[in-house]
Amino acid sequence: MMEIENQTELVRLCLEAAGESRESIEKWRRQRRSLERLPAHLADSLLRHLIRRRLLFPSLLEVFKRSVEVINLRGENYVDGEWLAYLGAFRYLRSLNLAYCHKISSSAIWPLAGMSSLKELDISRCVKVTDAGIKHLLSIPTLEKLCLSETGVTENGVELLSSLKNLSVLDLGGLPVTDPVLSSLQVLTKLQYLDLWGSKISNEGACVLEMFPRLSFLNLAWTNVTKLPKMLSLECLNLSNCTIDSILELNEEKAPLVKLSLSGTTFVNEAEAFLHIETSFLSFLDVSNSSFNSFCFLPEMKALEHLDLSSSIMRDDTIEMVVCMGANLRNLNLSNTRISSARIGVLAGHLPNLEIFSLSGTQIDDVAMSYIGMMTSLKAIDLSNTDIKGFIRQVGAETDLVLSLTALQSLNHLERLNLEQTQVRDAALSPPPETLKLLDLRGCWLLSEDSIMLFCKRNPQIEVRHERRSVAPSDQVGPNRPSPSRISLMASQMNKKPEQLPLSLCFIDQRLKYSREELLELQYSTLSLELPHDSDDQEVMRLE
Amino acid sequence: MKKEDTVKLISAEGFEFVIDKEAAMVSQTIRNMLTSPGSFAETQDGKVTFPEISTTILEKICQYFYWSLQYARGKETDFHIEPELTLELMMAANYLHT
Repeated sequence: MMEIENQTELVRLCLEAAGESRESIEKWRRQRRSLERLPAHLADSLLRHLIRRRLLFPSLLEVFKRSVEVINLRGENYVDGEWLAYLGAFRYLRSLNLAYCHKISSSAIWPLAGMSSLKELDISRCVKVTDAGIKHLLSIPTLEKLCLSETGVTENGVELLSSLKNLSVLDLGGLPVTDPVLSSLQVLTKLQYLDLWGSKISNEGACVLEMFPRLSFLNLAWTNVTKLPKMLSLECLNLSNCTIDSILELNEEKAPLVKLSLSGTTFVNEAEAFLHIETSFLSFLDVSNSSFNSFCFLPEMKALEHLDLSSSIMRDDTIEMVVCMGANLRNLNLSNTRISSARIGVLAGHLPNLEIFSLSGTQIDDVAMSYIGMMTSLKAIDLSNTDIKGFIRQVGAETDLVLSLTALQSLNHLERLNLEQTQVRDAALSPPPETLKLLDLRGCWLLSEDSIMLFCKRNPQIEVRHERRSVAPSDQVGPNRPSPSRISLMASQMNKKPEQLPLSLCFIDQRLKYSREELLELQYSTLSLELPHDSDDQEVMRLE
Repeated sequence: MKKEDTVKLISAEGFEFVIDKEAAMVSQTIRNMLTSPGSFAETQDGKVTFPEISTTILEKICQYFYWSLQYARGKETDFHIEPELTLELMMAANYLHT
C-alpha cells in the first residue's frame, strides 16, 4: 500500500468518513447511481482506504464493479476464491495485484478468464497457482504485465504464455524455466522486461535473448549463464551470483547499460567482461561481495551515481579510481572494505554531490570525521561497526580530548547518522546539525541513560534509537538497512558482550510503536475478531 | 457586507447561497473562476451555478469553506460528515478542488 495519495483535503475527509466503520458503509453502499458516477481515481482511493481499514469484504466489491480500475491486495492473505468471483465481473479493471495472497489457487483465478480490460496482473508468491491456473489467463489477450515469480507454475505452464502476444513485462523469477521453453517465448517480441532469476537457463538458452528486440531489463541472477549475446536495447542487467565469462560479446556497438548488478558475481576473465560494456551511460553499479578487481574501469564511468563496493576487495591503493570518477556520484557504499581513515581525506575533496555514504564495518576511526565533515552534500552517513569513539586523544596530553563528532556540524543537509555498535561515549554527544532527523545509537553500550535522555530533551526533533530509550518508533527501511553480512557482524559483537546490552530495561508500551491509524487498522484486523474488544489496552496486549 | 466581497453559489435546484468571497476561495476551482480576468461570466456578477451539485451537498460545501478558514486560523475542531453524504460530497470536492 505505498501509493502516493494525492487528494484534496475535503476528499480525504470524505474517504475517512465513508470508511469509518461497517455502519457508515451501510449508509452509502445502496447509493447505486452515485457509485456508478464515481470517477475511477476516487473509486480506487475509496477501495484502497477500505482495504487499509480491513473493512472490505467480498460482497461489498459488487458496488465497485463499474468504477474501479486499480486494485492492490498485495499481502492481504485473507483474500480467497470468493473475492475473485466478484473481481472477475469488474468491467474496467486495469491492474490487479494479488502477490502474497497465499489462499489463491489455480481454480480461484478462473473468474479472471475472459476479462476484457485487464492489463496488469501480479500473482507472485501465490504458491497454489499452477499450470492449470495459467490456462485461465490465456483468455485475457490484453495482458501486458504478468508477474508469476515463485508460484507453482512449471516449464509447461510458462510455455503456454507464448500466446499472450501483448506481454511487455514478464516476471518468471524462481520458476524452472529451461532453454527450450525460453526459446518458445521468442514470439513475445514486445517484451521489455524479463526476470529469469533462479531459472535453469544456460548459455544455450541465453543466445535466444538476442531475439527480443525491445528488451531493456534482464535479470539472470542465480543462473548458470556465463555468456551473454549482444542486446542493443538493454539498459538494466542483473547477473548477481553468476559466474561470468563474457558479457554482451561480439558486439560492434556496445549496449548502453544504465544499471548493472554484479553482486556476488565471480569473474572468469574480468577485463574481458567489461570490455564490451559501454560504461559511459552507467548510473548504477553494484559489485558488492564479488571478485571485482577491474577498478581501472571506474574512471570511465562518468555518469555513475550509485556505486556499491561493499565487501569487495577495494583497498586504499585502488580508492584513487573512485576519486577520478567525479562529480555525479551520489551514493557510495564502501562498507566492509579495507579503506582507512587517511584515504577518506583523498575522497573528501572530489565527490561534491555525494549524499549517501556508507563506511560500516570498516577500520576507520575518529581521524576520518574531519574529512567527512568536509563533504557538505551528505544526507546520510553509516558509520556503524567502526572504531569511532567520538574523541581523539592528543598525543602527549592525557587530558586533552578533541571531540571528533563536532566536525559533522558543518554538514547542513545531514538527515541520518548511524553510529550503531560503536564505542561512542557520553562526552561525544555534541549538538548535531539542525537538519538531523535520525540518530542510530543502538548497541553503543558506553552511553549512559542520563546522557541519552538529556540529548533527546535538547533535540526533540531527532528520532534517537537506543536500547535504553523507552520509545522505539517503528523501523523505517532506508538506504542504511543493514546488509546480511552486517547483521552477522552485529550478532558476533552481541555475543562478545551480552551483559552490556540491556534489551528491555523499561516496559515498552506497545501503543507507542504504532500511529493512531495503524492502531485502528489493527483493531479491525482478522487477528482480533475472536475476542470482543473491551478496551484498547486489551487489544494492545494481545498484539504482544 | 459589501456586494463585491460576497459571491453567490447556486445549486442544481436553483437554491442560492451567498457567502464571503474569501470562504469561496478555499475552492481552487472557484478561485480560478473569480480571479482569471474576463474568461468567465462569473467574474462580473459574482454568481456561480453548479448544475451537478445538489442543495444538500452545496450547503455542506459552504460549511466546509468556513470550517477550513477557521481551521487555518488555529481553531482545531472536527468537520463532521454524515456517511450518507460521503460519495456525493467527495465528487463535489473533487470537482471544486477543495
